[in-house]
Amino acid sequence: MSSRWQQTRSDIFEALGRLPAALFLSWSDTKARYKRSMLGPFWLTLGTAIGVGGLGFVWSTLFKMDKATFIPLLTVGLILWGFIAGIVTESSQLFIQNAQLIRNLRIPLFFYPIKLVLRHLINLAHNAIVIVIVFLIYPPDWHWGAWLVIPGFILVVLNLSWMSLFIGMFAARYRDTETAITNFMPLLFFMSPVLFKAEQLGVGSWIVWLNPFSYFISIVRDPLLGHSSPEFVWPVAIGMVLVGWALTLWMFNSRRTRIPYWI
Amino acid sequence: MAHLVFENVSVRYPIYNARAQSLRHQFMRIATGGKIAAEAGQTVAVTALDDVSFELKSGDAIGLVGHNGAGKSTLLRTMAGIYTQDSGRILREGRIATVLEIGSGMDPELSGYENILRMGMLMGMSLKEARSKIPEIEEFTELGDFLSLPVRTYSSGMSMRLMFAVGTSFQPEILLVDEMFGTGDAGFQEKAKARMHDLIANAEIFVFASHDHVMLGSLCSRVYELKHGKMNHLPDFHVKTLEQPES
Repeated sequence: MSSRWQQTRSDIFEALGRLPAALFLSWSDTKARYKRSMLGPFWLTLGTAIGVGGLGFVWSTLFKMDKATFIPLLTVGLILWGFIAGIVTESSQLFIQNAQLIRNLRIPLFFYPIKLVLRHLINLAHNAIVIVIVFLIYPPDWHWGAWLVIPGFILVVLNLSWMSLFIGMFAARYRDTETAITNFMPLLFFMSPVLFKAEQLGVGSWIVWLNPFSYFISIVRDPLLGHSSPEFVWPVAIGMVLVGWALTLWMFNSRRTRIPYWI
Repeated sequence: MAHLVFENVSVRYPIYNARAQSLRHQFMRIATGGKIAAEAGQTVAVTALDDVSFELKSGDAIGLVGHNGAGKSTLLRTMAGIYTQDSGRILREGRIATVLEIGSGMDPELSGYENILRMGMLMGMSLKEARSKIPEIEEFTELGDFLSLPVRTYSSGMSMRLMFAVGTSFQPEILLVDEMFGTGDAGFQEKAKARMHDLIANAEIFVFASHDHVMLGSLCSRVYELKHGKMNHLPDFHVKTLEQPES
């Protein structure tokens, strides 16, 4: 066991030990963002509700779809997409934005992706209120498979966590990463089954499964709406966790000490 | 007992230019065999510390002088463990506090009180510990009702008071301070000096980088000059200061 790996390990464990601090700080970040507004963080909820309501009615009329199936599908899809895209896009600023902190206080670097993911989980919790309301209006037809939403969501969070650290490091070293990501996200949005179900594309559905984020949406949304995901979604999501974390930890281990110089 | 030992420590500092930080240029370099975009991969490495060795024990109060860019801040960050050395060994024993740049870790939208908790937790305190420091910080900063206002309304002198108070609130065993007294008024400078004298008197390690020779003379027992990545002891520093006081 090399001493480099020991230091990387202690960085990770020290960061995990600071979980309460990360939670407190991400909550205080959320509050700071809405400090001068009356509704506070509930602007998130309201904004999502307006977006989902408007799009839901316009599109279901436009595409002549049944509101009771389309609106829950769209609501869960959009909220999940917001969670995924938020983490991926903001991760390109993960270390750059915290440059001052990193250069002045000795904080384990693994702390920053934890904090970012927690802050987006807080946002997601606010948005989940909209899902509850939509489900009250259009009750989903749940069966025994609905509990799969829990392991599915855990897999999504584990995947987004390694992505956050990976993108954060890469973007600190190569500054055009951020622009590349902001330009590719809309493309990935149209390649993900937010506005439709993958099956609706028929033969062309393989194009959706080229997009890693499609798996994240499918694995959470399908059980939540009472459907079951295509069976290949689970092994792919689990494989992504394993390969992604292995790659990210290898990179974090070999380049961690360079991060303060890059930013 | 605090202890800080450097054994043959070297730190090389890579400087990336815009091209080296561009992914497009890196691809170009690979695609063209490095001939066309030859510049892309060039990163200049500055040797900030070159084979530095020293040993600091409890009770040591060290001053650092040197030109701008001589490596004072790099040395302080290496002592704190923010920068990692390229070669050599560093031994640290004792809780380290850094007061390096004004405003780091503060959120301008949040109040002084909320920022005390934030910074405390960033420095590794629990929420309870951080809360318990509030009365003492209130007293030391003399900011009064301003502590309930957002930090963006503070003058730079006021945010420095807050930073310094939080940074030194948990009785660090090793205190590393970079030049930062330019903004405080005379009253606060006296208080800060008194607190640093206390910390030094508690037999801990204190390292202070500054251009202010009077301040260095009054706080530090030994002064080193950093030059070309080397540390040289200035034995006659106090004598010189007395002869020609500089500002």
